[in-house]
Amino acid sequence: MDFLTWGRSPWGEWILTHVSWDLLWASIFAGVVFLVAHASYMVLSAHRKREAHEADALERSLPGLPERIPKHSLAARLFHWIMAVAMFVLLLTAFLPIVGIRFPWVQWHWMAGLLLTASILFHIVHATFWLDFWSIWVGPKDIPEFKAEVLREFGHDVPGPKPGKYPLGNRLYHTVIVVAGLLVVATGLVMMKRVHTPFFTRNPYLFGDATWGVTYVLHGTAGVALVGLVIAHVYFAVRPEKWWITKGMIVGWITRRQYLEHHEPSRWAIARSSASPNRPGPAV
Amino acid sequence: MAEYKLIGKNYTTPDLVAKVTGKAKYAEDYRAEGMLFCKLLLSPMPHARVRNIDAREALAMPGVKAILTADELPPPPPPPAPPPGQPAVTQPPNENALTNEPVYQGEPILAVAAVDETTAADAIERIVLDLEPLPFAVDPLDSLRPNGPNARLEGNTYINRELKSLKWTEKDFSDATDGRLPMGEAPDTFSIGDLEAGFKQADLVLDETFLTQSTTHHPLETRTAMATWQNGKLHLYCSTQSTVQTVGNVARWVGIKPEDVVLISEFTGGGFGSKIPGSQTMAIPALLSKKTGQPVMMRISREEEHYIGRARAGVQARARVGFRKDGRITAIDVFTIQDSGPYGAQGDYRNVGIMASLAFQPMAMRWRGVTVLTNTPPRAPQRAPGGQQMNGIFDPIVSKAARKLGIDQVEIRRVNAPSGKATFGPPDPKTGKQGYVTSAFVREALDKGAELFGWEAKKQYSGKRRGSKARGIGVSVSPFNAGSTGFDGLLIIRPDGMLQVQSGVGNLGTHSVIDVTRVAAEMLDMPWDRCEVQFGNTSKHLPWTCVSAGSQTTHAMTRANYAAAMDAKKKLQEIAAKDLGGRAEDYDIGNQRVFRKGSPGSGLTFAQAARRAIQLGGVYDGHELPKDINAFTTRSATALAGTGLMGVARDNYPHDGNTLSHVVAFAEVEVDVETGALRIVEYATVADVGTVLHPHSLSGQVFGGSMLGIGHAISQRWLYDRQYGMPLAKRFHYNGPPTILDAPANVKFAALNIADPETPVGARGVGESPVGAGYAAILTALADALGDDVFRRTPVTPDLILASLELGHGSHDALTTNV
Amino acid sequence: MAVIHDMMPAFELFQPTSIADTLTLLGRYRGDAWVMAGGLDSFDWLKDRIKRPRYVVDIGGVAELKGIRASGAGLEIGAGTTLTEVVRHPVVKEKFGILLEAAEAAASPQIRNQGTIGGNVSQDTRCWYYRAGWSCYRAGGNICYADTPTAINREHAIFDADRCVAVSPSDTAPALIALDAKMVIRNLEGERVVDAENYFIGPGIDITRMNILQPGDLLTAIRIPDTWAGAQFYFEKIADRKVWDFPLVNVASAMVANQSAIQRIRLALNGVAAHPKRLVEVEAAVTGKPRNEQTAEMAGRLAIAGAQPLQHNGYKLPLVKNLVKRAIRGVEGSWTS
Repeated sequence: MDFLTWGRSPWGEWILTHVSWDLLWASIFAGVVFLVAHASYMVLSAHRKREAHEADALERSLPGLPERIPKHSLAARLFHWIMAVAMFVLLLTAFLPIVGIRFPWVQWHWMAGLLLTASILFHIVHATFWLDFWSIWVGPKDIPEFKAEVLREFGHDVPGPKPGKYPLGNRLYHTVIVVAGLLVVATGLVMMKRVHTPFFTRNPYLFGDATWGVTYVLHGTAGVALVGLVIAHVYFAVRPEKWWITKGMIVGWITRRQYLEHHEPSRWAIARSSASPNRPGPAV
Repeated sequence: MAEYKLIGKNYTTPDLVAKVTGKAKYAEDYRAEGMLFCKLLLSPMPHARVRNIDAREALAMPGVKAILTADELPPPPPPPAPPPGQPAVTQPPNENALTNEPVYQGEPILAVAAVDETTAADAIERIVLDLEPLPFAVDPLDSLRPNGPNARLEGNTYINRELKSLKWTEKDFSDATDGRLPMGEAPDTFSIGDLEAGFKQADLVLDETFLTQSTTHHPLETRTAMATWQNGKLHLYCSTQSTVQTVGNVARWVGIKPEDVVLISEFTGGGFGSKIPGSQTMAIPALLSKKTGQPVMMRISREEEHYIGRARAGVQARARVGFRKDGRITAIDVFTIQDSGPYGAQGDYRNVGIMASLAFQPMAMRWRGVTVLTNTPPRAPQRAPGGQQMNGIFDPIVSKAARKLGIDQVEIRRVNAPSGKATFGPPDPKTGKQGYVTSAFVREALDKGAELFGWEAKKQYSGKRRGSKARGIGVSVSPFNAGSTGFDGLLIIRPDGMLQVQSGVGNLGTHSVIDVTRVAAEMLDMPWDRCEVQFGNTSKHLPWTCVSAGSQTTHAMTRANYAAAMDAKKKLQEIAAKDLGGRAEDYDIGNQRVFRKGSPGSGLTFAQAARRAIQLGGVYDGHELPKDINAFTTRSATALAGTGLMGVARDNYPHDGNTLSHVVAFAEVEVDVETGALRIVEYATVADVGTVLHPHSLSGQVFGGSMLGIGHAISQRWLYDRQYGMPLAKRFHYNGPPTILDAPANVKFAALNIADPETPVGARGVGESPVGAGYAAILTALADALGDDVFRRTPVTPDLILASLELGHGSHDALTTNV
Repeated sequence: MAVIHDMMPAFELFQPTSIADTLTLLGRYRGDAWVMAGGLDSFDWLKDRIKRPRYVVDIGGVAELKGIRASGAGLEIGAGTTLTEVVRHPVVKEKFGILLEAAEAAASPQIRNQGTIGGNVSQDTRCWYYRAGWSCYRAGGNICYADTPTAINREHAIFDADRCVAVSPSDTAPALIALDAKMVIRNLEGERVVDAENYFIGPGIDITRMNILQPGDLLTAIRIPDTWAGAQFYFEKIADRKVWDFPLVNVASAMVANQSAIQRIRLALNGVAAHPKRLVEVEAAVTGKPRNEQTAEMAGRLAIAGAQPLQHNGYKLPLVKNLVKRAIRGVEGSWTS
């Protein structure tokens, strides 16, 4: 399998043109293998939510928690789903023609790319100023959780910190997605200079052949990586034991019980009130 | 005018049947036992340095015999010594057949010989070249910009014959507005008269910019060559314009003595200036043949011809021209930028000035110019080099002035026309005097042409529209060089009574190779069917001959053949006097006899005289030769000595002035302003070329040259991608020379047939003047139909017309070349 | 690998004499096979060693592909029929004069003697960057050299450019679309018949091909129904030269009109996009309208709606506008002849 494709410049010099589309199949393959392996394994793996008695105890210690724990604000959810739509359009328009389903894809691709870019910009601003910016990132403080998660994955029912607002896997995924997403968006925006759009004068000579080659390779690598990542993401979203998380992304809240069973209240504090326990509070 | 039996009469040239039946052998038609084929590896980059050539894989292929690289070529000759007291000239490396520093995309780097072309091509593909890209320029103005690239590491222009880097200032560029040509430092200039005073007299001054395109010569036959060595001599079958004058070049390119070259070029499929001295690349099969010990054929493809086949230098010009109310031109101030390609400077831009000074006889003039090297194929004179460009630059200005001043287009040209021994060109630095022509009858030609064309009747349609169709009429006066002197004639009256004329002229399609020998036959009163012409093969012993270029041949070689005929006549008379008594002057010749004056039946037949000449030896049969003939002629004459009565002489006839011919052309066009489509309705020319030698070939030359000019006006182009410095229009259907259906529907032709007073037969050359005439007659007609400022460059294609009429601007930036 | 042009590399040549044998070969070698009819497009590619098929199937000897015959209500023209034969055919002249004009406008007499109508509609674009072997989108790369700030693109597309700005060079294609011709395509699985306008595809659909032929497919015939026989036709081609040139733009229309109005019309252009472009909106807009200057003017304006010129082909907008106008209202002949 080739990782890169090479072309010739008009002067006959070898130039890097793209990643090999063999990588697409590799990424799909990897995604599916992971999915099958994980699904098989999950049959054996330990439950990770708190035992009922623990949750009961926790609930008693935290009186006044609302019935619906607000998790994703409307803006955050809009961002997520718009981004998801853009991502699907991008991946389908990018890869369907490669697998032989031909249609005029370029315009849809860059338009979806712009949508994705806009939603990411919004998200960055929104997350920076309105969300708990650091809640999604991974750092040294996550090591205990990581250890516990890994042990649990191997079937050990170990104590250890539950996740804050976002489970560690979720946050690791976010980190990878941030890298791939920013790469694909940054390179994609530059690549718009190579096609006709209403925004720029087309100029494929903006960079030299070598820079373009790297740009295409990064775009392609990030793109095929996203195929695998999206497969994994969708897979988790539809797994029955994760469905509550997915539902949270749709409706914006989770139940108090889910909150207590899956999260570490000390890492994700929710405003308590005795007045209206059933109303979702403001997202933090 | 003298009554001639042969001169001025139509006849069938002896090579014609072979041409029209396909039996003619061009270079590509030759085969030899064990012949190999070679193929060229061309540079993919416009400017690069060869770091390494890895040909191991290619050479290991079965059937691959040899590779030839630039390192194996003989070194180029050293630069000529500088004139006393001047610095040595730093020349760039001379153009050679192969190079390690390609300076244009398509320049040959190496050649491979193999048993067949497929194998040779496969081998080329397996060669790994390591090239280091170097800076390049394909547009002269780009190179002149403050930080612009130079086409060569040494510089971008010649200043006092030295390759230097010349950059203009930002101000030079910003001073030029409205698409006018910027005018920075120009190293070359000449002046005639008082320019300021000239402009002061002017009632109208026009300041116009015009771009003429570079164009590949693209003769139908490419420069294919086959070489084989026999007994230490190189036999080269090639395509060249000049049979004799190519020998010395081949010797130099191959690194041998001229005596060791046998050059065979019986038929040449055109040259237009691109094959004047042969081609450097002819050394490739010669050296590969030497290396392999087998004959080697190098067939050149159309695309390769685009690269190595030479091109006309495009000229960008800005001209200020002052006119008096009566149309008389008081002053011309012209600035020219020439695209000179990657090697030596061309003379085109200077010719723009010189020819303008002749065609319009300005009262004062200044010419300025800069020649800029570019990484595009090498330039060479192309039929009317500079003359054609001059007509394109000036004729539209003159016609515009005529419209502004309310003068007829023909009349304004009559007013300014050269006449008699008209002066022209830069004054001699020593005497301060200008040169002059041997004769000019331009007013007569204009009058005759106006009548032939029906100018007065057609004027009612000038600039008129009906529906979408606009009609226009135009006229042009085109001068160009038309002759040289000082070459040798060589002929034999054989013992069988036949006249054998040796012609060293190339057979490049003009008929002049044969036409000029008719002068010898005429002077010896030989019937044409008793004449034989030897040509196209230096083993047939040919005399020193002018290059078949610059429209020299007719003039130079009618003189040389005249001289040889006179020498033969004198020898006939002397032999008769020796045998039959009396003085030589008592004898005359005629009817294939030398006889005592008054009694044509007496004396000797030419056959008898020839036998006597052989018996007498000495000067009569060529054993003693004149001292003033060229060494080349001496060798040939020595080889022919003893075969009959030899006429051999150098052209020492007097000659006052410079020999130039004039052609005037008239054209009518119809342009569809909705589509830009144009049609040339009628075209008429009159040639002022002295005595007409051969009417058919003269009209063929005039129309052929006109079509070349018409092609430049309406279709032929030269396109470069500036990012990669690579040409896009390499083959015919992309670069668009005109086809027979683009030719004018009605064509008319006349020649003044007024003998030139400064040459024995009175004949001058005609190859070049028609080019500028055809070019500018069409351009002035188009401007008449469409308006004066619709186009400022050629070719004027439908897109250019439509963009200008409908969008109000050209298809391209006003000053960018090669688009 | 150094580049060399003008020397055909070796390949295996097949010269079948029947359609069945041709299809067997094409089925066997699929994408490795190159179909060659008159050779006028093929030889360029092969000699320049840019397209390097392993197998060349020369269909010049397949008699079934040649000739023009009556077919139901109309004509069937074998794909291997030369353009000269099309030009000279009496029924083409009598009923479908527009096809005669278009075929006669193509190339040069010599090329028309050799070139086939199937080849004329199926030929590749003449974009000089692509034909020079530059590895552009159409050649499988990821760049268009013809649409850059310094590109020479006077001859390129103003419509439907999708990364690639090449244009279809065919002169007969718009005439066939105007006549509502049907393209008969066969492969080992059988025969399918598609409308001429659907035979061509743009770069958005497939950037490396200009028509719907897949490996294994052979265009065997072109059927022209009688629908437009004897209609009022208009064909005009604008090119740099009078002969041996591809169109800058050409236009073809078939129209049925009476004194008061245009009853029905089909109108197509070429030289403006990677596929010949049928002007459906213009057809709809002028149907029912009187055939006059006003309608022509409206049609011309509508024809260039959505056009996106490149640096050097802006002239194609007025050219298309004027040609469409002329297709509707006609044009007076030459003034001087």
